[in-house]
Amino acid sequence: MEGEMPKVLLVDDEERFRVTTARLLGVRGFQVGTAGSGVEALEELERNPYDVVVLDVKMPGVSGIEALAEIKRRQPQVEVLILTGHASVDAAVEIMRLGGCEYLLKPCSMDELVEKIERALERKAMKEGSEEKP
Amino acid sequence: MLKSTIELARYGIPWLGPAMAFLGGLALLAEGKGQWPAIAVIFGSVLSAGGIYSLLRSLRKGEKERALLDVRMLQSHKLASLGELTAGIAHEINNPLAIIGREAEWLEHLLSTMPPAEGVPRKELLESVREVGVQVNRCREITQNLLSFARKMEPIFQKVDVNRLVEDMVKLVETETQGKGIEIVRDYQQPMEPIMTDPPGLRQVMLNLLNNARQAIEGRGQITIRTRALEDGRVQIAVEDTGCGIPREHLPRIFDPFFTTKAHGKGTGLGLSICHGIVDRLGGRIWVRSEPGLGSTFVVELPATPKRAS
Repeated sequence: MEGEMPKVLLVDDEERFRVTTARLLGVRGFQVGTAGSGVEALEELERNPYDVVVLDVKMPGVSGIEALAEIKRRQPQVEVLILTGHASVDAAVEIMRLGGCEYLLKPCSMDELVEKIERALERKAMKEGSEEKP
Repeated sequence: MLKSTIELARYGIPWLGPAMAFLGGLALLAEGKGQWPAIAVIFGSVLSAGGIYSLLRSLRKGEKERALLDVRMLQSHKLASLGELTAGIAHEINNPLAIIGREAEWLEHLLSTMPPAEGVPRKELLESVREVGVQVNRCREITQNLLSFARKMEPIFQKVDVNRLVEDMVKLVETETQGKGIEIVRDYQQPMEPIMTDPPGLRQVMLNLLNNARQAIEGRGQITIRTRALEDGRVQIAVEDTGCGIPREHLPRIFDPFFTTKAHGKGTGLGLSICHGIVDRLGGRIWVRSEPGLGSTFVVELPATPKRAS
């Protein structure tokens, strides 16, 4: 992965939020794909590989939590960050149970988002390293 | 119906005797049987009147209590609706707020990377757009406070597997301690009978205690989480850290609101006070043992069934 730009899939039903966040992530050195719903996210993940998925909880149709469960079922190696409107401990527990690594409070600054994505990438690298050396 | 019958029996039985004496005396008096029936009538009537008075008072008191309960129920329903409404509004505001914040960051990026142009007050524009970001953060704090208020509901008691709940929270905090030299040791008593408690409340307590333990450790250290069931069904959960410990003079104040020894901006001083409030509402107690330089142990003790839920 060295030298390659980490790939992030941003899933949010607010188009403007998606577009601007993707631009800013691009500036910070990430290769970004976007999806406007849980279904679109699953389709995009089938087409292209990603390292981290940033997933909004509240979306019409398939909710972020449902999408998280499905993403983890299909591609357990992908790290998933959850964007949520409020930091409910219960929601966090649900997210953890489904394999989501962390959650971010919305609205979050780009610095917070980038920090969490970088930590997710580190975790992914650690997991891959330990799988290679059983 | 059954309740009313029981109530009537409870208040009725004490004056049943005097009433019988009164009626019996009256019957004997009617037959003209002298002085003793007359005394029985007087004695019985005084006690019966007292009994009737006390019954009426009790019933009225019961009614008053019921009315008070209705008001409290109404108040709690009102608060619940207000909470739901507040949470809904705060949640909806967070989305446009996120967009405003993001657009401001994008503008800031564009402004700071564009070449200087004549007539464009770049410094002022940058200042202005940064202020938008500052105000977005301020709004975020407000919406988060509203959401916290919405969550300050009365506890809803249900059967809880303490070990599982504790483990969920330990896992959550473990993501923060990974690779930072903090070892987490689990010492759960198995098996453990479920207790009646409020899961969101207990989760909040555990999260606060575990985060405090994490923050108390500078460099390498260990957090041990113990669960124990006592003979009478009470459960103890202990969070022990090998961190900096609490100075003796601070110990009496650590559960006070706004008391903090953390650096400015690092802690609100509300975490332990919130824990104390929640544990109290759950019918339990919380205490701490601490040795400066060696670490602290916070113990939460909860009843198997809180009195108010039984």
